[in-house]
Amino acid sequence: MDRVSRREVLFGTGGVIAGVVAAAGGTAAGTALEQGRDDGTPAAAADLPADAPSTGAVRPDGTTQAGIDRPATPQRFGLLTVLDLPDAGSPATLLSRLATLGTAVLDLTGAASAVPPGGAGDLTVTVGLGPRPVAAIDPGLPGATALPRFAGDESIAPERVGGDLLLALHGSDPMALPAALRELRAALGDATPRWSESCFRGPGDGMVARNPLGFHDGITVPHGVRELSREVWLPPEGDGGDPRVTGGTLCVLRRLVLDTARFAELGTGSQEAVIGRRLSDGAPLSGGTMSDDVDLRAKTPTGQYLVPARAHTRAAHPSFTGSGLMLRRGYGFAAPAVGDDPGETGLFFISFQRELDTFVRTQHRLDEIDALMEFATPTASASFLVLPGFDAGRPLGSTLTA
Amino acid sequence: MPSKRDLASFIGVFRRAAAAVAVLTVAACAGGSAATEGTAGGGDGTPAVLRVPDEHTTVQAAVDAASPGDLVLVSPGTYAESVLVDTDDVTVRGTDRNAVVIDGEGVRSSGVVATADGVRIENLTVRRTMHYGVLVTGMHDDDGPSAHGTDGYERLDPSRFPPVERFAVRHVTAANNGLYGIYAFDARHGAITDSYASGSADSGIYVGQCRECDILVQGNVAERNAVGFENANASDSVVVSGNRFSANRVGMTFLSNYQEAFTPQRAGTVVGNVVTTNTSADSPAHAEGAFGIGIGISGGRHNVLRDNLVAGNPRAGVLLANTEDLAAVGNRVDGSWAGDGVSRNGVDIANVSADRAPARGTCPGAAASTLPENLRAACGTPGPLDGVAPGELPRVQAPPGMSFLEVPAPPPQPGMTDVENVPAPLPSTVTAGIRLPEGVPDADLLAERSGVA
Ligand code: HEM
Repeated sequence: MDRVSRREVLFGTGGVIAGVVAAAGGTAAGTALEQGRDDGTPAAAADLPADAPSTGAVRPDGTTQAGIDRPATPQRFGLLTVLDLPDAGSPATLLSRLATLGTAVLDLTGAASAVPPGGAGDLTVTVGLGPRPVAAIDPGLPGATALPRFAGDESIAPERVGGDLLLALHGSDPMALPAALRELRAALGDATPRWSESCFRGPGDGMVARNPLGFHDGITVPHGVRELSREVWLPPEGDGGDPRVTGGTLCVLRRLVLDTARFAELGTGSQEAVIGRRLSDGAPLSGGTMSDDVDLRAKTPTGQYLVPARAHTRAAHPSFTGSGLMLRRGYGFAAPAVGDDPGETGLFFISFQRELDTFVRTQHRLDEIDALMEFATPTASASFLVLPGFDAGRPLGSTLTA
Repeated sequence: MPSKRDLASFIGVFRRAAAAVAVLTVAACAGGSAATEGTAGGGDGTPAVLRVPDEHTTVQAAVDAASPGDLVLVSPGTYAESVLVDTDDVTVRGTDRNAVVIDGEGVRSSGVVATADGVRIENLTVRRTMHYGVLVTGMHDDDGPSAHGTDGYERLDPSRFPPVERFAVRHVTAANNGLYGIYAFDARHGAITDSYASGSADSGIYVGQCRECDILVQGNVAERNAVGFENANASDSVVVSGNRFSANRVGMTFLSNYQEAFTPQRAGTVVGNVVTTNTSADSPAHAEGAFGIGIGISGGRHNVLRDNLVAGNPRAGVLLANTEDLAAVGNRVDGSWAGDGVSRNGVDIANVSADRAPARGTCPGAAASTLPENLRAACGTPGPLDGVAPGELPRVQAPPGMSFLEVPAPPPQPGMTDVENVPAPLPSTVTAGIRLPEGVPDADLLAERSGVA
C-alpha cells in the first residue's frame, strides 16, 4: 500500500476535506479546493500540487495567503520584518490599518504592479499578527498566546522576542524585496520596527533544499490539499474551527545561529548521526531514498537504532509528542564577519501549523534530547497568526471581527 | 504469488525494518502456504485434534484446516514457518515445549501470530524471528497484522480495530526474537503465563494499547532482553505477578506512549515479582542506552507496585520519568529493596522527571533510598516531587549489545503434562477476583528456569 492510501484506509482522513467543502458555501473558502480541482478530478481523489512553480506571478488572493504553500517551490530570497503597532490594543483602528496594508499587498504583487521597477515577478507577501493584537481582539483566538521560553531563549535580545506584525516577503529577485518593503511600510503608517533581515534558500525542488548545514531540509512536511488542510490551515467551523480565522495558520519563527564550524569538524558520519538522514541524498539512515520516512523502530541486530536515539529526525518526529506535522519552510541567513568576529550563519526556522502546540511540544522535546540543538543558539523567537487569505472584496483582517 | 503470511506483505514498519536490518534481509519462503491433505477440522461441532506433521506437514496447513474449538497438536521438530491463526478458538500446542520449535531462522518476521478471538498458543518454542516471536493483535487488515497502528504522521483511530478478545500464551519459550518475544497488542481478556523470553532487542514480554485490558502476566521469566517486561498504554486491569524479570538491561517498564492509542498508561497491578540485577551483558543493547534499571515508569499513572523484590540494579531500582507532557502521577511503590545474595540498588527510587511534567503522588516507605534525598518532601501533598537530572543518577557503564541471534539459548523449560486434552473455549474474564501472591518473594523465585541465576 502506498503511503496516501494507507493513511486513508487506516485513518479516514476524508472527513477533513468534507469539512472544508461543507463550509465553502460560495465564499472565498472554496478557492483552495478549486485550485486543487483544476484538472477536473475531485480534490479528494488525489494529492494535487497546490500551485504554480516559482517562476512567474503567484496569486496574492484566495482562501489562504501566499508564501506558505505557494509557490510550491519557495523563492530563493526573503526579507523578514517584525514590527510593533501603536494600535495593537485597539481592534477598530488596527483593522482599518490591516485593510490598507492588504490593499497595498494586492497592488504590489498583482499583475499590474509598478513596484518594483521590473514588475512583481513571483513576489509574495505574507502577513502575520502577533499575540498582543490577536488577544486584544479575542484572547480565545488561535495565536493569542505567545510562545513559552525554550532552552537558551533567556539570552535572546528583548526586541527579538515576539512582535505585533510580521511582514514576510519572498521572491526570486532579491533586489525587489527592499523596494516592496518600503511600499508596505508607507501603507502601514506609524509602526515601530523591531528587526528586519534578509534570508536565502539554496536551489531546490518543492519544499526540499539544502540548509546551512548542507543537509536536505523540508523533506518530511505535509503535501497536497488534503494534508495541508489537516495539518496547516486553520479549519472551517464545520471541522471545529473558528470561522474568523479559517484559512489562516500559525507561524513560528525562530532565528537559530548554527555553529557550522564545530558541525563541520564532526565529519560526515557523525553529522549524519546527528540528523538521521544521509548528507549525500537525504535518505533516512534506516534505508530507502529521500522520499521515504525515517523508520524509528529499525534496529541493528545488537539493538542500536539505525536512526540514532538522539538524532534530530527522531527527536522532532511528531509521533512522540502526539502532535501534528508542521510545514517547515526555513531560510538561511548570514551576518558579516568583521575582524575577529566570525559573524553568524544559521537558519531562520519558519514553520506553519494548525496548532501552536505542535511546535511547542516538539521544541520541548528537542531541548531534552536532540543532538542538533547543541549546535543551535536561538537569537529570535516569535509566533504569529497568519491571517486568512484576502482579496478586494474581503480585506485583510476583515474576517477577524465577523 | 506472495501469500498474506509472507514477510513481504507485512505492512508499514515491518517492511521498512526488514529492508533496514542488513543481516535480516534475505527473504525466505514461509512454509505455510503449501497445504497438505489431512483431517478436516471438527466442523460438525465435535472438537478435533489436527496433528502435525502426521496429518498436516506444516503447522499453518493444520491451522488453516482447523475449525473453532479444534486443537492443532504439533510433534517435535523444527518448523521453518510463520504461522497466522485467524480462526476463533483454535489452540496451537506443542507436545514437547522444548522440542517443538517454530524457527524464524533470522529471516522471517514473526513466529506465531493470532488475530482471532480465543486463540491459545501453548507448550512450544518460537525462536530467531526478526520482529515478534508470538504476536496477538487486533490491528490487522487485508495486508496482514501489525503491532503498531501508525507511521507516526496520522492519529490512530483505535475504534477501527477492535481488540482481540480472549487469548492465552502458556508454557511458551520465546528466544532470540529481534524485537519482542511475546507481544499482546490491542488485545484483551488474556493471559501470558509460565512462559520464558530472552534475547529481544525491545522486550521479552510486551502488553500494549488496551483499556480495561483484563490481562494476566504471571509466572514468567524474562531475561537477557533489553527490557524484560514492557507495558505501553495498557491500562486498568493488567496484573503482573509472580514473575522473574532479572538479568535484563531494564527489568520492567510502564510507559505512556503517544505512538500508540490510549495514553496515558494507568492503573496496573504489579505484585510479588523479582526484579533484580538487570545488568545483563548477554543481551541486545537498549536502544536509548538504558542499563542497570529495575522498573522504569515513564508517564505511567496510578500503578500499584507492591511486594516486589527490587534489588541489585546499579543505576536505580525504580525510576520515575515523564513522557513528554505526561507526568508520572500517583504511582504507589513499595516492597523490598534487599534480597539474599543480591546487592543493593544504586538508588532505590529516583525521580528524573522534567520540570514541564513533574512526577506527583509517589510516597515511598522509609526503607527506600531516594534521589533526590528529599523525594518524600511532597508526601501527602498533591504537589510536584523534587527531581534530579538523569546525569545525577549513579553512573554505570553499559556493555556493548550482543546480536539477538547470539544471545545464549535458554535452558530447557518445564512443559505441560496433559497435551492431548482438547480445551474448552477460553473464559471471557481473566483477572477479576484473582488471588495475588502474598508477601515479597525470595530472590530465587523461578531461578530454576533461568539460564543466568
Ligand atoms: C537547528 C536548526 C535546524 C536544522 C539545521 C534542521 C534540519 C533538519 C533536517 C536536515 C531534517 C531532515 C529532513 C526533513 O525531513 O526535512 C529535519 C527534519 C525535521 N525538523 Fe528540523 N532542523 C532544525 C530545527 C528544527 C526545529 C527547531 C524544529 C521544531 C521544533 C524542527 C522540526 C523538524 C521536523 C518536525 C522534522 C521532520 C522529522 C520527521 O518526521 O522525519 N527542526 N530538520
